[in-house]
Amino acid sequence: MRLSPPSVRTRLSLWHAAVLAIIICLFSAGALLFVRARLYRALDEQLRQDLATVEKVYREETGDLGELDNRMGMTLFEVAEGQTVIYRTASWPPPAAKPYRTMTTADPAHRVSVARDETALRQTLWTLTVILATGIPCAMALAMAGGYLLAGRLLAPVGAMADTARRITAESLSARLPVENPHDEFGRLAVVFNETLSRLDIAFEQLRRFTADASHELRTPLTGIRSVGEVALQRPLSTQEYRDVIASMLEEVDRLTRLVENLLLLTRAEAGRIPIKPVVVDLTELVASVSDTLRVLADEKNQEWTVDIAEHVTAACDASILRLAVTNVMYNAIKYTPNKGEIRVVARRSTIGDALIEIQDTGPGIAVTHRERIFERFYRVDDARSRDTGGVGLGLAIARWAVEANGGRIELESEEGRGTMLRIVLPRS
Amino acid sequence: MRVLVVEDEKKVAKALREGLEAEHYDVRVASSGEEGFFLVNHETFDCVVLDLMLPQRDGLEVLTTLRKRGVHTPVLILTAKDTIDDRVRGLDSGADDYLVKPFAVPELLARIRALLRRGRPDQILKLQQGDLEMDLVTRKVMRAGHILDLTVKEFEVLEYLLRHVGHVVSREMLTRDVWRIAARATPFDNVIDVTIARLRRKIDDSFQTKLLHTVRGIGFVLRRERG
Repeated sequence: MRLSPPSVRTRLSLWHAAVLAIIICLFSAGALLFVRARLYRALDEQLRQDLATVEKVYREETGDLGELDNRMGMTLFEVAEGQTVIYRTASWPPPAAKPYRTMTTADPAHRVSVARDETALRQTLWTLTVILATGIPCAMALAMAGGYLLAGRLLAPVGAMADTARRITAESLSARLPVENPHDEFGRLAVVFNETLSRLDIAFEQLRRFTADASHELRTPLTGIRSVGEVALQRPLSTQEYRDVIASMLEEVDRLTRLVENLLLLTRAEAGRIPIKPVVVDLTELVASVSDTLRVLADEKNQEWTVDIAEHVTAACDASILRLAVTNVMYNAIKYTPNKGEIRVVARRSTIGDALIEIQDTGPGIAVTHRERIFERFYRVDDARSRDTGGVGLGLAIARWAVEANGGRIELESEEGRGTMLRIVLPRS
Repeated sequence: MRVLVVEDEKKVAKALREGLEAEHYDVRVASSGEEGFFLVNHETFDCVVLDLMLPQRDGLEVLTTLRKRGVHTPVLILTAKDTIDDRVRGLDSGADDYLVKPFAVPELLARIRALLRRGRPDQILKLQQGDLEMDLVTRKVMRAGHILDLTVKEFEVLEYLLRHVGHVVSREMLTRDVWRIAARATPFDNVIDVTIARLRRKIDDSFQTKLLHTVRGIGFVLRRERG
């Protein structure tokens, strides 16, 4: 069985404790070695003094060596001349049972050795060791406990964030993480997370609306097909009536097909699966050709159709995709401009060199509340009327994609009751 | 003319069979790639309509094997996938034409006619239907001796209808073949309807016999009919 990796809190306190342990151990070892060295140096100093005393007595009054032993309490020394021992205290050589430190001076003529008991010294060192050995674990335990508590307090906001985050699902994306201090590390994390949530929220909302709209739009023709068929089968009909029923169903199928085509196009476009191959395109020609194609529709509505195209307006774009945008925008202008209205198509270069295609109509205009949203999929300013004219509400969404895919943008100027101007702006190539 | 339809969807297969039989083709239907492959190897067909999504044996695989064996029967593939990659792959495997589902039956019939016509150059200089005449060289259109004044697009539409005389022409066919617009997602139906209405005004309005008819739900057809 594998242990699950410990929590951040545990890891943090363990690391903290480990680092602290290394520091304390190094410090203690250093202190111990230092004290030991000092004690031994002091002992050696005493031994050197002893040696000097014995040396002095030996040189000046050899006979008084016994005095040193008996009266002055120097009970551990030996003096020898060559192999001959001149004086040796009673307890020389020091017994092996106890620790002794010995010091000797020697020249060819004589040799002096002194010794001192170092039991006391060792005792001191031992006591120190014991103090350290019991103190370190205690300190460590305290440090760990403190570290654990501290880490806990420090990490508490993270835990709280995780709990809140866990409660946030696709259904409750509007909830946000609490931000205590937006400037500290955790605060920044929460702010970033909240921003991500906001974007997700918007994306989900759009997706939800899109799905609802799409299914609504798909259902409408399906309902048509179904009810027309069901009603037709309720009683016998004449051949002509059957033909009408089938034709009516086919019309709905047509609408369904167009809707699916448009949806597919947009879905592919958004997934980036439509390759854009930009080449230098003469917009003059493109606009003229689309305008020629759609002009009959304007004629039919007795609209005044003016085309004002400057020469050599070019842009680097994918002509077939840009054509989609121009077609949809022009088509919309014709559709929403009443009979005998005016539509003006302009292709020109702006003062900073961008290529512009402007389509100005004298339609009803677009209210401010709708301006932001008319490029959204399925968004309709006037639901009933648009449906009558047979649109599926994707034209401008496609137009916007087509322009943006070519690196441009669509601008909208509109005055309610006066008309609308849509401007396709393609940055200079 | 014998046509083999390889299609596993029963409804579609039945519709294709009936549509083709109405045009006097001799139709065989295979409901799997395996069966289609067997039939092509054992019988002679003038044209094969092949669905790409088939049980047992994928349509593309059938096609590739057939072409490797040196079978050169014209093949029209039906596919629900319409990305450029899918089309290229189909044509690379040896298909002569493709149609994306959902397709209009009149269009399928037109494509089959075109496939069967292939290799037979038609040097037609004049198209005619009843008292309507079109001179492709001088680009003049006359009805009962009167010259009709048509715009370029109206002329092209009429030419297309005359070339498919007696057969229904769908809006999709006109969009692609007359307006030469490949994108299926563009709103051209109204343009077509308006153009047809104007064309009708010019060629039919002052005559008893109406030639240009709307087949509601499908498209348009040029034929003699009392209206």
